[in-house]
Amino acid sequence: MSHWEVMVGNKAVAYAAKLARVQYIPAFPITPQTTIVQYLADMIANGDLDAEYVTVEGELTAQASALGASMAGVRAFTATSGPGLLYMHHPMHAVSGARLPIVMAVIHRSVKGMQPDHMDMMAQRDTSWLMMECENSQELLDTGVMAFKIAEDERVRLPAIFSGDGYILSYTAEPVEIPGQEEVDAFLPPYRSQVPMLPELAKECREYAIAQWGVGEDPQLRWRRQQEAMDAAKTVISEVNEEFEERFGRGYGNGLVEEYGCEGAEAVIVAMGTIASTARTAIDNLHGRGKKVGLVKLKTFKPFPAEEFRRIGGEVGAIGVIDRNISCGSGGIVFGEVRSSLYEMNGRPRTLEFYAGLCGKEVRVSDIERIAEKTMRAASGERVTPLVEWV
Amino acid sequence: MSKPIPLAKLGDEEFIDPANQACQGCAGSIVARIVSKVLRDRWVRQEVACCGPALSNIWAPSVYAEIFEGAGAMMTGKSRAYKAMGRDDVIVAGIIGDGGTVDIGFQGLSAAAERNENFLWIVYDNEAYMNTGGQRSSATTAHASTTTTPIGALSRGKREPRKNVPLMVAMHGVPYVATASVAFPEDLIGKLEYAKDVKGFRFIHISSPCPTGWRFDPRYTIKVARGMVQSGLWPLYEVIDGETIRLTYKPRELRPVREVLKMQGRFRHITDDEVDEIQRRVTAFWERLIAKDGGPLF
Repeated sequence: MSHWEVMVGNKAVAYAAKLARVQYIPAFPITPQTTIVQYLADMIANGDLDAEYVTVEGELTAQASALGASMAGVRAFTATSGPGLLYMHHPMHAVSGARLPIVMAVIHRSVKGMQPDHMDMMAQRDTSWLMMECENSQELLDTGVMAFKIAEDERVRLPAIFSGDGYILSYTAEPVEIPGQEEVDAFLPPYRSQVPMLPELAKECREYAIAQWGVGEDPQLRWRRQQEAMDAAKTVISEVNEEFEERFGRGYGNGLVEEYGCEGAEAVIVAMGTIASTARTAIDNLHGRGKKVGLVKLKTFKPFPAEEFRRIGGEVGAIGVIDRNISCGSGGIVFGEVRSSLYEMNGRPRTLEFYAGLCGKEVRVSDIERIAEKTMRAASGERVTPLVEWV
Repeated sequence: MSKPIPLAKLGDEEFIDPANQACQGCAGSIVARIVSKVLRDRWVRQEVACCGPALSNIWAPSVYAEIFEGAGAMMTGKSRAYKAMGRDDVIVAGIIGDGGTVDIGFQGLSAAAERNENFLWIVYDNEAYMNTGGQRSSATTAHASTTTTPIGALSRGKREPRKNVPLMVAMHGVPYVATASVAFPEDLIGKLEYAKDVKGFRFIHISSPCPTGWRFDPRYTIKVARGMVQSGLWPLYEVIDGETIRLTYKPRELRPVREVLKMQGRFRHITDDEVDEIQRRVTAFWERLIAKDGGPLF
């Protein structure tokens, strides 16, 4: 049976791990993620969760020991933020390379300060991890549970991040519906390793190692297989999201993007995470004023839902992308992905770029209304400048 | 406390294929064979960047992950996973090089020792980053010529004496720490046999001369290894629970280090003063060990 509780985002993340019956948790503190591993410590201390809990000496060991545990044959979970995530970067490549479905919560913290932006995760974008962004505590819990099912699917077998903005979610309480354990058990079967590393499976482990390393094969196959798994993940994410919605009554768009007020829209804005919540209010206000503008919440950043943007791009005159990140020297990372998705289209829409919320800078409803209005003007054919703007 | 066990006692059964990619005369290969014979079909192996991946003839399961510094972390994850799976019978053991132990892996080593994680860390110490072509590590003996501490008009090889990692690990208070040598297989096997069934963190540091990097004829690996021990350059001892230290090889008198250094091309340049400096250090350390033998570590 499900029940409601008022809780902060970090507690919702801890509940996701508990409901997924994780077996191995390496814990290392970093603000604003720390209370996740504290809640889990309490759950284990009180006998509510049966897992190996290791207070490691740093994030690198958190990630590398999760790799060891996952390889040995158990479901592993960890959590981190900002610089801690940067410190995990190199084992993250090893985890995806070994095709281990570790799930990690990332509570965003800028790498240039304590407040949130998405650069911690964006700096990992090429590590072949799935990345799913959340805008509230309920979504953190739900996505956390779904992440295990997606990552462990035989068609995917890639590690997954589910993430939310630090402070805004991590320490802010709101009502969350916690699904019953038996319902989650019916949704998420126990962990099954491809090849548990056991002495009696030495031969199978050797074959697995040879396959992972592509011995005797085209050396590029190791990347190609990860890319194919990423492509397959799009279908799996949508399926899992749909099943979750059927069982628990909550879904998140098609699992890849969530469209809000997009029916008949002439323009859309794109946002990730908590900015999407603020954007919903802005869109409501604009609809009240008769403006035909919608919101596309980018729920899954990796694999990037290019097909969805091509479909949406065919229906609107302009797309304004809000990036809580920047790849200096190039630009907004989501913007680059969106524009690249649209390139091969005939009659593609115009694209506008907005940097907002970096280093935790506040993004107000009025900021987003202005962003949406500017995008609408571009959709109507008006020449708008600048096309790239710091909000 | 360990007891010497002759190789013949381990029987004829092998748990390793006859060939691997290691160099001729590789002491690491000897370590791999002996470890395999002791741990048989009961273990999973951890490997990190070092010559270890060349020891691909070991049957025990291992999937190499490119995390040089991750031996302590990955073995932590594995041993905890087996506990969660109810498979405490699986021995987690790593055959890890000196770089992955004393340098880049040191944080993970110390942390795993402090947590008393349940695994066996075996170091095959060839005193440099041999897999990348013989660069100095903090396990390199002073004055050795390595590819990053070359001999030149302004350079006399490695300046610093080696870092004493086994004693540092012992000071973590872990159940078992030992030094060993490929030239003393009975002693090594005894220590492995003892360590394999101890619960908690176990650390066996094995002197493993490298003909390629130390520059001696591959046929002399054991001779050089024996000289290292007989001269006190690599004393053999064990420390139980971080409390009691016991020497497991006590020659009546030490061979001069000069004889052993001169067997190795990496010391070809060494001066009498430099030999004397090493000798003084070795003798002083040996005297302190003898004084501690059989008693408290500190």
